[in-house]
Amino acid sequence: MPLSMVKKGESNKIVKVGGKEEVRRFLEKLGFVAGSPVTVVSENAGNIIVNIKDARIAIGRDMANKILV
Amino acid sequence: MAIKMALAGNPNSGKTTLFNALTGAGQYTGNWPGVTVEKKEGKWKARKDVTIVDLPGIYSLSPYTLEEVITRNYLLSERPDVILNIIDGTNLERNLYLTTQILELGIPVLVAVNRMDLVEKSKDRIQMDQLGELLGCEAVPISAQKGTGVLEAAEKAVALAQKQTSFALPYAFDERVERAIASVGERLGSDIPAERKRFFAIKLLERDDKIVEQIQTLPDVSDAIEALERTFDDDAESIITNERYACIASVLKSCYVKNETNRLTVSDKIDRIVTNRLLALPIFAAVMFLVYYVSVTTVGGWATDWVNDGLFGEGFHFFGYEVPGIPVIAERALQAVRCADWMQGLVIDGIIAGVGAVLGFVPQMLTLFACLGFLEACGYMARIAFIMDRIFRRFGLSGKSFIPMLIGTGCSVPGIMASRTIEQDRDRKMTIMTTTFIPCGAKLPVIAMIAGAFFDNSGWVACSAFFVGIAAVVCSGILLKKTKAFAGEAAPFVMELPAYHMPTAGALLQSMWERGFSFIKKAGTVILLSAVALWFLQGFGWVDGGFALLEEGQAEYSVLAAIGGILAPLFSPLGWGDWNMAVAALTGLIAKENVVATFGVLSGYAEVAENGVEIWSVLAAGMTAAAAYSFLVFNLLCAPCFAAMGAIRREMNNRNWFWFAIGYQTALAYAASFCVYQFGTFAATGTFGGGTAAAILVTAAFLYLLFRPDLELKRVYGKKKLGINI
Repeated sequence: MPLSMVKKGESNKIVKVGGKEEVRRFLEKLGFVAGSPVTVVSENAGNIIVNIKDARIAIGRDMANKILV
Repeated sequence: MAIKMALAGNPNSGKTTLFNALTGAGQYTGNWPGVTVEKKEGKWKARKDVTIVDLPGIYSLSPYTLEEVITRNYLLSERPDVILNIIDGTNLERNLYLTTQILELGIPVLVAVNRMDLVEKSKDRIQMDQLGELLGCEAVPISAQKGTGVLEAAEKAVALAQKQTSFALPYAFDERVERAIASVGERLGSDIPAERKRFFAIKLLERDDKIVEQIQTLPDVSDAIEALERTFDDDAESIITNERYACIASVLKSCYVKNETNRLTVSDKIDRIVTNRLLALPIFAAVMFLVYYVSVTTVGGWATDWVNDGLFGEGFHFFGYEVPGIPVIAERALQAVRCADWMQGLVIDGIIAGVGAVLGFVPQMLTLFACLGFLEACGYMARIAFIMDRIFRRFGLSGKSFIPMLIGTGCSVPGIMASRTIEQDRDRKMTIMTTTFIPCGAKLPVIAMIAGAFFDNSGWVACSAFFVGIAAVVCSGILLKKTKAFAGEAAPFVMELPAYHMPTAGALLQSMWERGFSFIKKAGTVILLSAVALWFLQGFGWVDGGFALLEEGQAEYSVLAAIGGILAPLFSPLGWGDWNMAVAALTGLIAKENVVATFGVLSGYAEVAENGVEIWSVLAAGMTAAAAYSFLVFNLLCAPCFAAMGAIRREMNNRNWFWFAIGYQTALAYAASFCVYQFGTFAATGTFGGGTAAAILVTAAFLYLLFRPDLELKRVYGKKKLGINI
């Protein structure tokens, strides 16, 4: 299921990060690696704020669609 | 022995706060990732032989953003004696990712765990000795904001630099990965010292194309990469990223206990409200309204009135005593010493009128800077980027472009600098080009002058000026995206949001003063000089066949009039072909405050308030309202002041791009004010002339550029059907 469809407050484990190589690499560095738990904190028109490894990261909708949990 | 200490760490981990604490410097800090865009050097207060370098924050040593390139190049080529790696204690796991890379550089490292006050508050436990042992370096607790542990950390780092002992990593990746690293390391030439072989070997495995420039004899490692990728069925860079996180997890397991009881932090709760789907935009609008209300109307307005009417005016009453204003004092003093008339004119009509017009504006600027500083320091600025992203994306810009623009409402120069956080080159270039359209603080006096002289001080003039600026940004976004150079989607939005915190009063005052001071400095230098030059140029001229000091009423013979006269025909299609106005627009290129100052000097009023209230009648007599608005639009959109142009040039780092930006801005300004004047005149008088026809043509051409089908998009996505989820 893409991260953009996850319910607020629910903890999920990341399965796969897709998208362009450059952005995928950047996300991996921010902690979006397979197995990492991730929680959606807030959602605004598909753009989301997630909690991962104790950091809050804002992600645009296009990218949130490409992160599978 | 001179020691060079580099501060490295994640964005917003508190490097600059630590830097300021150690060096006593007043470097600018803020609570959003990417505040520091350039490395800064300073000397440690306690030991002058220790140079401390504050590096831009980075997430890793791979070159994804400009800041990462700057930091990495510095660490690789300058070789500091010791690296003080600052990590955010409230976000250990992610921060240690960079640490695992820094440890591979073969430079002594001290890990300073920052924000210990917050860690203790949330009852998390970090065992420092064990953390250091597991990482193979020393770890110390600090709180940069509270100033605890800072000196001890610096002393320990200096001791490490003096020892220069090499160390071995106590942890290792998966055996198969280690084998690949070792085999690549063996192939590296002797130009890479042994302690750095691991770093370069990993970079080669990751196919880092920028690292290649640093290696003399480049070995072929494609077989090692392929073998590794086949074993793990993943690409090499991801494999290594995973390994790093796996190592961090095992390190943290034995030295870190997180208090799990309080999962939803205060920041999360605030975020639920301020980034809420329904409330986000109204809250943002209210915050911005408050910022402008406070800085322009109330606090800033009162202070500005006091400065203009009192300090640079007739004088003011102080507990019943009458205190004369500066012009009055200066006039009395000059008369008392029987100064020559022309000298009095220079001081009072030239310097005090010109510089005073600008200085009168300082209180408003300071209030605005304080408000913007607060937004930055508390952490809301980063949320604004998130909220605005979905709107900006429609115009081909990312939400990150909004931060430069918001900072640009204060001053374009830091706004342009802030564009560095935007990863994608073309997004960044477009942001640089459009940031100056947003009316900066220095343009406010021009707006106030036009509103007062022609539109009965109506509030909608200021409002419409902002609207013109935003429309220019939006149209430019759409229009430029359809050209070849800018085609393509904006990079996906990914941004770390800092935790909210209450900024300290000291930090706030510091950021306010630092930015405000550059305005005051400008008034004392550039504007002082141009006021003097203007006064001479308008005071001397050719009368009766000779070059002489002009009498009153002979302004049209002045040198300035001659210069203005040459330029004026250029602007007559815009409705203000008078030499006065041409000169004002020209001096506006030096600094926008100069526009009002120029009118001050030209009209010969010793004292011109920041909005030029004294010259309104003179102005209003010479121009129609349409021409005045056209003048305003031109000054809003045209090439910015020297300082901002310098910033554009530095950030573009390319002469052609610089001239393209300036040319585009000026062409847009000229076209927009031409249309404003021609349509305005048509609406007011009803006469349809050649100018009106030309304006219709210009508008049509502009609309075509705006709405033409996106050929570039078609070219890129040629075979995909347009409109379906690209």
